[in-house]
Amino acid sequence: MAQPKAVIRNRIRVKRFEHGEMTQQALADLVGVSRQTINAIESAKYFPSLEVAFRISRVFGKPLDEVFECEFTK
Amino acid sequence: MGTSFEEKSVWIQLASMVLGLGTYFIIAGGMLSGGVREVPAFATLFLFATAFMAVLLIAGHIVAAIASRPEGRDERDRLISWRAEHNSSWVVAAGVCGAVTCMILGIENVWTANLLLLSLALSEVLGFVLQLIYYRRGL
Repeated sequence: MAQPKAVIRNRIRVKRFEHGEMTQQALADLVGVSRQTINAIESAKYFPSLEVAFRISRVFGKPLDEVFECEFTK
Repeated sequence: MGTSFEEKSVWIQLASMVLGLGTYFIIAGGMLSGGVREVPAFATLFLFATAFMAVLLIAGHIVAAIASRPEGRDERDRLISWRAEHNSSWVVAAGVCGAVTCMILGIENVWTANLLLLSLALSEVLGFVLQLIYYRRGL
């Protein structure tokens, strides 16, 4: 059975700017990944594990679905 | 996007492997075409090539560490490494099959040994190239 395709988006860039224009490096240090990984997540070149996704949401003090969203398309 | 220490490390490993083992295979090719068939002669050459590679790796990583702060591997680095290894290991498998075929056909050990070494080197080079592609294009 064909499954609908999941398109995952994130609002990390927006959330960073809402948090005092937090830099990618600052977020990376708080999450425990490299700055390049944050950059890759923001530009949808890499989809993080659930653990890292939760860590990012925790930094912003928001629930996961406010930072990440998933849309299913046919 | 700047280059992380891990990505620089992959570039250094690729360059060291190509220069070190490239030199080995150029000289070994000359020795084989010159009629040298003793495995110890190739083993000595391989030891020198390995030492050369080690020097390049150490020097390269010292320079990279001075240029940018090493951050340690994160989950993306590990995933890229696993995926590249997964997609390049078939080269070694093909080399092993070729080596077994050489043994069955009774081809001289020196050819079998060099074939195995070549497949290992090519597999590593492919793995490094794939890692660099995954770093640049994404997973």
